[in-house]
Amino acid sequence: MSDYKLTPCEKYQAEGREWDRLVVKRKDTTGEETVIGHTQVRKDGVEKVTGTAVYGADINFPGQLYGVCARSPHAHARILSINTDKAKALPGVVTVITGADYPEPYGQFIADQPIIALDKVRYQGEPVAAIAAETEEIARAAAELVEVEYELLPVVNDLEESMKNETLIHEDWSKYECSSACFPVQGTNIGDHFHLCKGDVEKGFEEADLIVESEFRCGQLQHTLIETHTATAAANPYTKELQVWTPNQSPFSIRALMGKIYGVSNEKVRLTMTHIGGGFGGKYEAKCEPIALALSLKCGGRHVKLTYDRHEEFSATVCRSTVQYYMKTGVKKDGTIVANQIKGYWDAGAYVTTNPRVDYNAGFAANGPYEVPNVKIDTYVYMTNRTLGTAYRGFGVTEASTLHEHQMDIIARKLDMDPLELRLKNCLHDGSIGVTGEIISTCAVDECLRAAAANIGWDKLPKRWVDEEGNLCGKGIACFNKLTGTPSTTSCIVKMNENGSIYILSASREMGQGVTTTMPQFAAESLKIDLDKVSVSPVDTHQTPYDKTTTSSRSTFHSGNAILQACEDIKKQLCHLAAIKWKCADEDVVYTAEGNIQHKTDADKCININNVGKSGIMHEQDPVIAIGRYGTSDIFDAPPVDGRQSKRPTVMWMIGAQAAIVKVNPVTGRVKVTKIGAAHDIGKAINPTGCLQQIEGSVVMGLGHAIMEEMIYEDGNLRNGNMVDYKVPTFMDSDIEIKSTLVENGHPEGPFGVKGIGEPGLVPTAACIANAICHACNTDFKSLPIKPEHILFREEAND
Amino acid sequence: MKDIVVNFTLNGRQCKKLVPANKTLLRFLREDMYINSVKEGCNEGECGACTVLLDGHPVNSCLVLAAELEGKTVLTVEGLTDDDRLHPIQEAFIEAGAVQCGYCTPGMIMSAVACLNLYGHPTREQIRKEMEGNICRCTGYTRIADAILLSVEKMDAIVAEQGADVAFRGIDKNFVEKWNASYEVK
Repeated sequence: MSDYKLTPCEKYQAEGREWDRLVVKRKDTTGEETVIGHTQVRKDGVEKVTGTAVYGADINFPGQLYGVCARSPHAHARILSINTDKAKALPGVVTVITGADYPEPYGQFIADQPIIALDKVRYQGEPVAAIAAETEEIARAAAELVEVEYELLPVVNDLEESMKNETLIHEDWSKYECSSACFPVQGTNIGDHFHLCKGDVEKGFEEADLIVESEFRCGQLQHTLIETHTATAAANPYTKELQVWTPNQSPFSIRALMGKIYGVSNEKVRLTMTHIGGGFGGKYEAKCEPIALALSLKCGGRHVKLTYDRHEEFSATVCRSTVQYYMKTGVKKDGTIVANQIKGYWDAGAYVTTNPRVDYNAGFAANGPYEVPNVKIDTYVYMTNRTLGTAYRGFGVTEASTLHEHQMDIIARKLDMDPLELRLKNCLHDGSIGVTGEIISTCAVDECLRAAAANIGWDKLPKRWVDEEGNLCGKGIACFNKLTGTPSTTSCIVKMNENGSIYILSASREMGQGVTTTMPQFAAESLKIDLDKVSVSPVDTHQTPYDKTTTSSRSTFHSGNAILQACEDIKKQLCHLAAIKWKCADEDVVYTAEGNIQHKTDADKCININNVGKSGIMHEQDPVIAIGRYGTSDIFDAPPVDGRQSKRPTVMWMIGAQAAIVKVNPVTGRVKVTKIGAAHDIGKAINPTGCLQQIEGSVVMGLGHAIMEEMIYEDGNLRNGNMVDYKVPTFMDSDIEIKSTLVENGHPEGPFGVKGIGEPGLVPTAACIANAICHACNTDFKSLPIKPEHILFREEAND
Repeated sequence: MKDIVVNFTLNGRQCKKLVPANKTLLRFLREDMYINSVKEGCNEGECGACTVLLDGHPVNSCLVLAAELEGKTVLTVEGLTDDDRLHPIQEAFIEAGAVQCGYCTPGMIMSAVACLNLYGHPTREQIRKEMEGNICRCTGYTRIADAILLSVEKMDAIVAEQGADVAFRGIDKNFVEKWNASYEVK
């Protein structure tokens, strides 16, 4: 590449002007570091602006075949027969497969889902056959020729119908292999149940001066990744070696799943990862991968490329489930909350997929970051004939946050308190007892709430006002706490090349969040090597060591720890090599804080890490290569199912708050978010611009969740399954003044004190916007999104 | 399907190709010309990931037929770099933090070039309006607008240093004039 150097531009987004930093507590940092804590130019930037970054659909092989799925037009039907003769007879078609070819069902928590529908279809768009052909056009034409005889079954269109349990989506849960983390209820549409109990809520309600009850519903959302799901597979039918090129977030869990489906051991399954064109949880599960493999197996191992179009992406991949929440709170006159009871019902769609994890994460977060002595939470995953719910940036916690923050505002109104004051009165502090009975530590809810409020000038604003143009204006605030998946493990290999540069092999996936820059920052800071000399290798399960998944905002925290550990070993190995060259004992050589390999007594014997390649110490010596591991099994206190009480349910609680100012046009019902004040406890900002990017991107995404996006179904038919009718925020919606505060409250176990920020930016956004709209309109809107029709036909609150 | 011969210019290179009459420009560029920067997002003109400049105008290449290329000029991100040197707009996208997952980026950059041809020194409001057809799920858009403003500064600085004759690929100072002239009644 060129000899010129790119430098970050802070002109438009400068510290102190557009954002600020609030240091609460430092951990393992002095604030004087040279690499971490400073904005670095993205290492994947050049390939992305030149169009040379290779994404899923950019993978092509000579002679590859094209896969297409034939899909069910019905949401719920029994398959009486499938005839593929006509499809097979079309010239150019190489193979047509049906569910009977690979009947082994799969699922992360419960194996309830066939690769291709077997006896019945459970959602509109479910694959009933798959075709591999010489061109995509031929494959699509063949899909039209697949003849399926259906017997229509009653459609379970929504939660309310599902809860009647009159029509069962899965007749017999006991037939499926089920993990110990999933709790379906036989004879019902309940695919999972979460129960948390702390103290005695009935006693709490008796002690309360006021009981407040509310409900809240979050609509069904599509990730709307700009890159649709795709996979290219080559599966050798003789050796059973399976390879897939895919833009997936979780290479190792997909590897295990593919091994299970095709009855081969894991080491024979190879996932080669491409760049990801948007993840957000949408590329966490296996979608195209198993079908592409199945087709390749039936085509003598030829490469098969399967790419979903936008319509398939909407109807037949994954989405964020609808949830209906009910909340009952007992509160004292002074605002002290004494009891919270929460019931929640998820519309998980046709298969359980990862919903037990959504249910679990949201369950621990549903009470909010508040110290409440008596809490009871019961949430249920219900099955319907809709597309499959899955992870979506926040794993259910975003929805939980809208619930408890909606409730907090109703309580504040009934007690005539300021919403911020009520939150500050009840929020968790270090030493508080959390919802699982855990003693809370490194908790900066108070700081985040105050900073978020200050960022919109909360104190100077009334709760609602009317501007000069007649718009109804309001302010709202929301906070949250979210756990990260625990236990989980990660590992990395840090290897020094012969020229003294460094490769990091880690399966933490780059999906825009910036790990290919933050991971090298850890190594560069630890070794004091130039950041330019450190890079991340492409991810391939045959070469890259194990990492659980790139989800749950865990990568910087977990991988950072592993890399720091490996770097300590690198230092020792380099000192050993220097000792060989200098013919002295290993103990006589030290690795200094400046990055020098230094003889203890002979000052002339000194090699700076940036010159180590030229120094000759590595020449024909043992290669410098180190392993780093980090896992959280040892600190984890598994929350038992009878109430989920635990001293350590997660290694890291992520905390933050956002506040919003909105303008509502009372004539058109249109909402304009004018300002967002954000404050997130990120422990330590490794790459500050990276943190801000996560927050700013989240705010605009959350705006869509609050006032625009919703998948609309009628009798099992998705009515807006395209980007024309499913509106996501555009450039025109981005005119929001965002002021962020990066709160640094160092986590004792985080590398340099880091916590996650991938999901947290989104969690409070829709909640604070919804609260601001509720205040502006003096209405308790009970569901998201809040659309113009809801505003025009609102009923004002009167109590 | 009937095949049609088209003569066109792609990123400064003369090309002659036989294309099926029903093939979109998007698929033609990716499959026949190996232009991988042009991304398919929706195939219905909503996401903007496949934006290219056709005679200087931004188009969704999924909505244009390759058969329409006769005599036309196509510009993609691949045509912006000068040997191995990035275009000031590309530099600005990296430096202003306008890139995250990167999938929308090539289309965004092409729309940005078009925006700068319409308004040499655009305001944020003009940028938002002109860039509306490009969807990004990662960034929240503001840093993309920052990048466009930064690229203007970069180009202004280069002009100040090297003189007004300096040319930037894809940037045509007379674009609006030429466009208006094409509508004049002859």
